[in-house]
Amino acid sequence: MRPLTETEQKTVFEKLANYCTDLKSLIAPLDDGDRYVFRLNHSRVYYVRLSVANLATSVSRDALLSLGTCLGKMTKTGKFRLHITALPILSEHARHKIWVKDNGAQPFLYGSNVVKAHVGRWSEDCPEHSGVVVYSMADIPLGFGVTARSTTEARRLDPTGIVCFRQSDCGEYLRDEDTLFAG
Amino acid sequence: MAPTKTIKNKHAANKSGIKGSKDAERSRNDGVLKSKGKPKSKTHTLVTANKGRPNIQELIARKQKKKKYSEKELAGMIPELNMITPVGVTKPKGKKKGKVFVDDKESMATILAIVQAEKEGQIESKMIKARQMEEIREARRAEADKKEAERKARLEETKDSLRKKRKRSKSQGGKGDDDDSRDVKEFSSAGTKAVKSKKKKSVSFAAPE
Repeated sequence: MRPLTETEQKTVFEKLANYCTDLKSLIAPLDDGDRYVFRLNHSRVYYVRLSVANLATSVSRDALLSLGTCLGKMTKTGKFRLHITALPILSEHARHKIWVKDNGAQPFLYGSNVVKAHVGRWSEDCPEHSGVVVYSMADIPLGFGVTARSTTEARRLDPTGIVCFRQSDCGEYLRDEDTLFAG
Repeated sequence: MAPTKTIKNKHAANKSGIKGSKDAERSRNDGVLKSKGKPKSKTHTLVTANKGRPNIQELIARKQKKKKYSEKELAGMIPELNMITPVGVTKPKGKKKGKVFVDDKESMATILAIVQAEKEGQIESKMIKARQMEEIREARRAEADKKEAERKARLEETKDSLRKKRKRSKSQGGKGDDDDSRDVKEFSSAGTKAVKSKKKKSVSFAAPE
């Protein structure tokens, strides 16, 4: 387990900035004087309290399975992939949102993209190819994706047209259970 | 006998095989030191005896003694090879090895500020672009609608004019209308190629003899 290097930190922040508006609150000091930090172990990036990270130094690298919140994975080419486990953090500071109807929740959770017919409502002024967090109509975060069209363009789209490309959904907790934290 | 022996021993003594190495140096010195009290001192006595002629060992030592160049001198003398060195391979000298971690609050905050400003700029420009495109599209659509309306109006006009014409002809006596209907009947019964079929083609064969 080690802190991130400058380039790694930058790529992580860049990815998070696609989905979140207020990144400063992520690293802001907490009331008890503690703060959140980023740690890398087995190419997985964790978002963890500093006090917990310090405690975790007593565990050897191989024995340490996970700590804090797993944000995603650093690829061998230096890119960063967000995992579904980062959803609570993304949904808290989401920049753009899409709410899907109940009939669209299941297809989304099974790994398909969001079509226009399934959209209940969406945030205004959303440009295309920007990160978006997908919610159910009861405001429960289901996953996140990338918009296929801007809001104005999507209005003219036919009902079967794709509005949002899926990046990750809660169904991955089951589908990718064995590779989510290791491998 | 003795000098030949020393020449043979030249390689044996230098065990490391590297000229000027510590090992080689020591072995050379050993020969001189050991020569004092041990039976190997044969060579030493011989060397002292042949004082007038240049000693073979000295010659060898002189031969072995080459000028040593420092790295700076070599860099000036030897032309650089025209080789491609990958970016990752060449590491700057004097720089500390290993990764530089970002763990303190300040550096993390600066990186975050830079990234966020960059992203905001990108998104802003994207939105401005999208708005402009939308305006252009809207204008185009309005233009297309206008053209469509114009075309429709023209069509209606021509239709109206035709209807008026027909009414006028009817009121005049209805003769022209009859002609028209007859023409249509003719065409429908005979087809458009009826004129050609009037002339019947005939084929004649030569009578058998």
